[in-house]
Amino acid sequence: MTTSLKKIVTAISTSVALMGVGHAAADIQIGIAGPMTGPVAQYGDMQFSGARMAIQQINANGGVMGEKLVAVEYDDVCDPKQAVTVANRLVNDGVQYVIGHLCSSSTQPASDIYEDEGILMVTPASTSPEITERGYELVFRTIGLDSMQGPVAGNYIASQNPKRVAVVHDKQQYGEGIATAVRDTLKDKGVEIAMFEGVTAGDKDFSSLVTKLKQADVDYVYFGGYHPELGLILRQARQADLDAKFMGPEGVGNKDINTIAGEASEGLLVTLPPSFDQKAENKSLVKAFEDKGEDPSGPFVLTSYAAVQLIAQGIEAADSKDPFDVAAALRSGSFETPIGNVQYDKAGDMKSFEFVVYEWHSDGSKTPIN
Amino acid sequence: MQDLLYFSQQLINGLTIGSAYALIAIGYTMVYGIIGMINFAHGEIYMIGAYTALIAITGLTALGLAWLPLILIVALLCAMIVSSSMGWAVERVAYRPVRGRHRLIPLISAIGMSIFLQNYVHLAQGSRNIGFPALIEGGFNFSADGAFEMSLSYMQITIFVTTLVCMTALSLFISRSRTGRACRAVSQDLGMASLLGIDTNRIISATFIIGASLAAVAGLLLGMYYGSIDPLFGFIAGLKAFTAAVLGGIGSIPGAMLGGLILGVSESMTSGYLSGEYKDVVSFGLLILILLFKPTGLLGKPEVEKI
Repeated sequence: MTTSLKKIVTAISTSVALMGVGHAAADIQIGIAGPMTGPVAQYGDMQFSGARMAIQQINANGGVMGEKLVAVEYDDVCDPKQAVTVANRLVNDGVQYVIGHLCSSSTQPASDIYEDEGILMVTPASTSPEITERGYELVFRTIGLDSMQGPVAGNYIASQNPKRVAVVHDKQQYGEGIATAVRDTLKDKGVEIAMFEGVTAGDKDFSSLVTKLKQADVDYVYFGGYHPELGLILRQARQADLDAKFMGPEGVGNKDINTIAGEASEGLLVTLPPSFDQKAENKSLVKAFEDKGEDPSGPFVLTSYAAVQLIAQGIEAADSKDPFDVAAALRSGSFETPIGNVQYDKAGDMKSFEFVVYEWHSDGSKTPIN
Repeated sequence: MQDLLYFSQQLINGLTIGSAYALIAIGYTMVYGIIGMINFAHGEIYMIGAYTALIAITGLTALGLAWLPLILIVALLCAMIVSSSMGWAVERVAYRPVRGRHRLIPLISAIGMSIFLQNYVHLAQGSRNIGFPALIEGGFNFSADGAFEMSLSYMQITIFVTTLVCMTALSLFISRSRTGRACRAVSQDLGMASLLGIDTNRIISATFIIGASLAAVAGLLLGMYYGSIDPLFGFIAGLKAFTAAVLGGIGSIPGAMLGGLILGVSESMTSGYLSGEYKDVVSFGLLILILLFKPTGLLGKPEVEKI
């Protein structure tokens, strides 16, 4: 009895020790935190696919300072509470670099923990301005801000000389932030805002809202939020014969909106980061994704790829694996990535990032306008 | 005229959603009336009904069936069969073994069942929103000379008519049939009914089956009306329907219908005249207000504590 118990204890401790060896100290762990499940998991797919590809290619080219990058993946379901749990797990796992999170409302609470624990975070998707407004040293992004995206949308709507515009949002950090930026731009341009109103994320019945939009006789509706809600609004608006043009941020621009809204998604306007996969210099990279059977055209694939690359280049530029040194190197350097030349300001935002207005089609394709 | 049309449109929107709430609320209220427990997994039964209907519709369309009424009827039957067997199984597995214990035990068992079913559908069907084909399109439009046009879609009419038919059938069943009479007897006094030779286990199973089939009807109707379903949508609908049942007086069938309609109309009026942000605030505020002045709900009877 005692001997068998001893054997088990020995076996367990050996395997624990072996596991420790498996995570050889010589590797650099890159945490990837985003939604693998949940309503916005398709954006998570883009993030994981881009980051994995970057890690794979960097390792194939000899790694960083002679060491391999190892991906450690976490699912935050795009839920702020889960994001905090994930952030704490990352701390426990001893990860020092994170690609993520995706939703602004997850990134914000998680970044508090990363900053306290000395973990460097690069978010490839969160556009809420507040994330970099807190003077944190270790927070970066490879995407623009709502305060850049909102004016692009607002200016476009204003340039179409609308009579009245409605601005609707999902009351979440991302959606309301961007909707506010759009409203302010429109106000500055002297466009009449017929209504500014929130809906509840996860709601399914928007018939009252659609009726109200019809009553207000608007010709443009801007929606700040994600595709599950906008898809239903589009569909229910079409059923009620609401004749207005809809516009949304990059959170609505993916093919799932077509399965929800069907024909009603034709002609939807979306502001998106430019299609990096269409750039000539990214041809070989796009081919690498296609060879793997993955689609590089999603808005967050190449921003995630660039996020990994920046960490790798930052480590090399700093010639140190300490996240604080890497952060300093990122702020002072200039880096070539598939999303263009990246330079950071003091807050951790890219000095320039462009958003483009696209027209969405009911088959899931998009064409740039203006 | 313009304002009147707007008001009527919001009223129609509210009644549509309210009648669907009422269909789901029946399940809560009947189960409570008979065994005095709240079946928190009921919202999930409704969600499973919607998924089954969608699978059936997709399958039938793939088989080349084009006659709409047939597709709808077959889909409805499939949804009702799957949901009611699910309702029956849930009762057998999660509630019967703990029946008669402390009240909290079946309640916790129900919450566990709800989480289990939600995650089961997550795994089996994926977590993404799935589009529901719009099978019933078009409708009537009414307009005055102004710009606003009121519309009453065929889908909304279908929801009203189906709800009306289901409710009438249920009332007749409860008041006229033998099983219905047994249901009423069991709800008055479970112990006494069993002494008088009523197979109470069978009646309780029947209650779950009836509640689940009505939830399946609501699942098909609302799936088509909204246009998309996801594994979590039963949770919110369940919460709303539960509120409707409490509002109308839990345990009372006409109360569930009334509660559903009041909740639906108050929701749509709030988003129509105030703001969508206050929709839930007003409906739950209304619930608190009614419970303060009439703790048993609108049509509930003052009741002695059940065993």
